[in-house]
Amino acid sequence: MLDSLKRGIIQLASRKIYITMMLIVPIAFSLFFIDLMNEGLPLNVPVGMVDMDHSSMSRRIARSLNAMELIDITDDVESYHKAMDKVRSGELYGFFYIPSDFQEKALSGKTPTLTFYSNMSIFVPGSLSYKGFKTIAVTTAGKIVETTLVSAGADYSTAGAMIQSFNQDIHPLGNPWTNYSIYLCQSFIPAMIALLVMLITSFSICQEIKNDTAPEWLATAKGSMAVALAGKLLPQTFIFSAVGVFIQSILFGYLHFPLNNHPLHMVFAMILLVMSSQAFAVLVTELLPNARLSMSIVSLTGILSFSIAGFSFPVDKMYGGVAIFSYILPIRNYFLIYIDQALNGIPIYYSRVYYIVMLVMLLLPVVGLKRLKKHCLNPVYVK
Amino acid sequence: MNWLKSIYRVWRRESLLVFTDIGVLLFFVALPLGYPIIYTLIYNPEVVKDISTVVVDNSRTAESRELVRTLDATQGIKIVGYAANMGEAKTAMHEKKCYGVVEIPHDYAKKIGRGEPTVMSFYSDMSLLLRYRQFLFSLTDVRMAETAKITAERLSRGGILTTVVSGLPVNSESFFLGDPTQGFASFVMPGIVVLILQQSMLLGITMIAGTAADRRRRNRGRDPYEYEGGAVATVLGKTLCYMMIYLPISYYILEFIPHMFSLPHVGSFLDYMPMIFVMLLATSFLGQTLQVFVRERESSLLVIVFTSVVFLFLSGLTWPRYAFNKFWLLVSDLIPATFGVESFIRMNGNDSTLSDLSQYYWGLWGLTALYFVTAVVLRYFTAKATSSRHLSAASRADTDISAS
Repeated sequence: MLDSLKRGIIQLASRKIYITMMLIVPIAFSLFFIDLMNEGLPLNVPVGMVDMDHSSMSRRIARSLNAMELIDITDDVESYHKAMDKVRSGELYGFFYIPSDFQEKALSGKTPTLTFYSNMSIFVPGSLSYKGFKTIAVTTAGKIVETTLVSAGADYSTAGAMIQSFNQDIHPLGNPWTNYSIYLCQSFIPAMIALLVMLITSFSICQEIKNDTAPEWLATAKGSMAVALAGKLLPQTFIFSAVGVFIQSILFGYLHFPLNNHPLHMVFAMILLVMSSQAFAVLVTELLPNARLSMSIVSLTGILSFSIAGFSFPVDKMYGGVAIFSYILPIRNYFLIYIDQALNGIPIYYSRVYYIVMLVMLLLPVVGLKRLKKHCLNPVYVK
Repeated sequence: MNWLKSIYRVWRRESLLVFTDIGVLLFFVALPLGYPIIYTLIYNPEVVKDISTVVVDNSRTAESRELVRTLDATQGIKIVGYAANMGEAKTAMHEKKCYGVVEIPHDYAKKIGRGEPTVMSFYSDMSLLLRYRQFLFSLTDVRMAETAKITAERLSRGGILTTVVSGLPVNSESFFLGDPTQGFASFVMPGIVVLILQQSMLLGITMIAGTAADRRRRNRGRDPYEYEGGAVATVLGKTLCYMMIYLPISYYILEFIPHMFSLPHVGSFLDYMPMIFVMLLATSFLGQTLQVFVRERESSLLVIVFTSVVFLFLSGLTWPRYAFNKFWLLVSDLIPATFGVESFIRMNGNDSTLSDLSQYYWGLWGLTALYFVTAVVLRYFTAKATSSRHLSAASRADTDISAS
């Protein structure tokens, strides 16, 4: 075992690519992610304002739009067509349209229409601009009713009660800031780690086969495939787990992303994520002991897991035939543990299944040990 | 003339290498053909509808039941049951039986009757922002409808006021451009397919380079398959080969995939094909620049695969580019797919024309020029380095022979 371990460590030190992919890439990627989205939300969506009315009321609407942090009126556009052109060229993400005679109609009870356009080609700014526009359209309507009521003799509190007759108190649990970065960092960074773990696992095993050194490698473990694998992979487990926990400490510790349960629950989940991803990649490599094929399969799995694991689109709303794949992904289980243990901070009892699934995955490599051993002794390198 | 001939020879040799290498064909052909279909299948349900929600109704009146019915009728919310109290509702949420909880206060009906403002509470699970967004949109609709209804009732009871105000004095109408149904596949696919074009091409090109490096290692620094043209001719000849494969594939990806899944698709191919043509050109030169970093066949997978996620974010599809800081904006400007994604999603969804997006078009030509220069310079120097290594090896061999 010690010989195998030594060989595993020497292999990692032998080439720059290991250190690059195991230390530099995951850490640099995390910093990139954190820095890119450090605002939390892409506020101040550039939008336009088409004011065809030029009245005191339309100017008041423009002022309240501009006062919102969601949107930023970067352009006063003179017509609908000009505004549409600017949306097409990507300068604006939406615009608010006040028709001519708006004030006159509003005050004389002729019910004018405020229209607003949000470009959903880019989802997040589109949604944010919609939210901003809608809020202003609703409050404008409310203000006018209030003014009319008051001028008709009602007192302010009665008028207020009438227009605000129905209110909602919405509680976004665990992420009251609706911070986008919290949600993206906690899913995409671990998924990236899982992808790198799988690639390196498969790459490092196949290197032995490709370079005809597999018999030597087996000899360090006195012919035991399991020991040889353990010796090769444990140093990697250690490095990847350390990197993973370090990144967790940045997210939870330095950035104070929600962690509403004991930190060890997440540390344990990270180590399990690394190990179960290794196990998954070992299984793939055992079945396809060929560098290109096995690495293609783990790349495919790793990249698709960003989508199938349901970080953005809920798994329960995907087609059943697609959704079923999400549960065999280690990262899906890590993500669910994160939601329960860190974001919502609920008792670990509710996450038991996810931990168990990842633990069971550690047994996967047993399936193909024999097959891999055969290949190591009679290596065939296929391009 | 000779120069054109060597471009032709490089092209012929490269095409031979590509079409006899199953690994490269996998990236150049199978990946761009298959990936878009898999991706669209994942996101094809498009809109998150009927998210399970539990009600804690402390009012238990006709009014509160009607509110629950209104909530249930929205696109986003599906009431799956009642909970006796908040504790029970919380347990249901922990067990993932619901993702939202509605709490109606005990004095809900009373306050409506008395003409006082009422308030309902909503607790949303925040594990996925798409769910929260859907809840929020549905709740806003309900609030508008309920406010209008209750206000109208109160005003009608107010006698004199009816003549002054009836309902809300201002209508509002919203339009969603680009992706009118706000479907997720419709939003994400146009961007992803462009990225797939770039990434599959980079993977293929770097794998070709890795294979050549493997061959050089086996043949004492020389690649027997390489046609030795000048640096410019080599870069151009190879590019010719990649473009030949990628032009039909991009037409398939950009024209057929949206049709196949009825995604939004309003742009004209006369606008987006020229744009994508330049992007592919820039990508081909970028790939030939990155070749120097790939020293064996398999490491192309190691170094290129993870960049897909980086480039996806740099393209501004998820996190818009106006919110980037100067540094990341500059970095993203160096990636051909950034301009490709930005322009294709607008052409495809908003019917933008090439002239609307001329800044991206010229940006892509700029990248083409930049990476052409880097590719040629790197090829020139690596060719020189290998040939001098080869020469010195050969002269050593000569001296060996003469010594013996």
